[in-house]
Amino acid sequence: MKRLVVAVSAVLLLGACGTAPQTQATQVTNAKAVVQAEGEHNDTDVMYLQMMVAHHEQGLEMVRLAEKAAQRADVKTLAQAVDATQSDEVAMMKSWLTGWKQPTTVDHAPSAHADHGGLPATGPEEIAALKKAKGKAFETAFLNLFVAHQHNAVEMANLEAADGKNPEAKAFAERVKLSRTDQIKQMLSMINT
Amino acid sequence: MRRSIAYPLVTLGAVVGSAAVVASPALAHGYVSAPPSRQALCASGAVKDCGQIQFEPQSVEAPKGQRSCNGGVAQWSVLADESRSWPAKAVGKTATFTWVMTARHRTSNWEYFIGGKKIATVDGGNQQPDAVVTHNVDLSAFPGRQTVLAVWNIGDTANAFYSCVDLNVGGGGGSTTPTTPPTTAPTTPPTRTPTTPPTTKPAPTTSAPVAPPPAAGGSAWAPGVAYKTGDVVSYEGKNYKCRQGHSSIRSWEPSIYTLALWLPL
Repeated sequence: MKRLVVAVSAVLLLGACGTAPQTQATQVTNAKAVVQAEGEHNDTDVMYLQMMVAHHEQGLEMVRLAEKAAQRADVKTLAQAVDATQSDEVAMMKSWLTGWKQPTTVDHAPSAHADHGGLPATGPEEIAALKKAKGKAFETAFLNLFVAHQHNAVEMANLEAADGKNPEAKAFAERVKLSRTDQIKQMLSMINT
Repeated sequence: MRRSIAYPLVTLGAVVGSAAVVASPALAHGYVSAPPSRQALCASGAVKDCGQIQFEPQSVEAPKGQRSCNGGVAQWSVLADESRSWPAKAVGKTATFTWVMTARHRTSNWEYFIGGKKIATVDGGNQQPDAVVTHNVDLSAFPGRQTVLAVWNIGDTANAFYSCVDLNVGGGGGSTTPTTPPTTAPTTPPTRTPTTPPTTKPAPTTSAPVAPPPAAGGSAWAPGVAYKTGDVVSYEGKNYKCRQGHSSIRSWEPSIYTLALWLPL
């Protein structure tokens, strides 16, 4: 936790010195790399982050389609905000894995269900279908697929909460759980309005 | 044939035989998102105080052949509680049911019931479901307020997933007619009257928190607010400027983890 405080202070200090906004933004970008996952970690932490990197990258592919193809302003805005936040989360997770000297990729599709015959909510075929969908059909496809995608994120966060060890990774899982649960709330409302 | 998958028989047996499967969120799979099923109304916050189902609406799993809204699972009994006055969505003579699937199991079929009578069956061909599953169901023989039980029968386990959808059939309009209005207040009200007009459309009646944008002077950050780029908020004694428009949610408060959304000032 000490590192987090340091990082925030650094940003504020630069802001207070009258640095130009552009420079400030650069400093902010640099600041996020300072958040390190210190302390011990176990196999669940590693697996969780590896699965989430892959899961996030798939999610980013979906929201970037939505930023272009969605017609509704609320859907587009959500997609942009998820793009911004999840892009940072991917960079953070990769830096943690690298710091632990672990690969940042997994050699199979991320799924909490794979052990009993179910496939996860979203894979290459679902994304291909999303690419083809137009207009209202696109929004229906995107919202229902992304709700399911974020349900999967919550399920994986629950695994980390139960079996993970690293405090920073567990805290990340908790934030994922909260933010994705609330995104699902928003999207279920969008689906029905 | 969309995919070829090897199904471990031992695991399959465990799924069939274990009651614990029903309670495990990690094995959950699907529900009807539109018109909103009861669990979708719980998960969207349109109906409050539903308990754990609001966090895992995809979990109403039980052996095939159940005919109750909770699939007979005691943990989800709130879904079968008719005293909850579930809001009914107004639809025409045909309704289009859309499913959210969090695990794409091979599908035996989908069945739809009203009052224990089967009104539609859609064959799943024992295949992985398509990316988006929607079914048009003719409800013309059932005017007025109805509760439709939608069932997803899994092809590779003995289980099914259950969703009840409350409808007002043939109402003609597109609006909802709840028997009692759903509680839709934002989780936290905006702290100040907006001084600038909202850029987004007014919040729909059944929507999750979407509130007017805050004043530009740095009102306290709150969840459920439609912030736009340039808005300034205060949070824990510091001011932040919004870098990316968004509707605020838990864990998206200004912090070292949300620099993509909030720039410290």
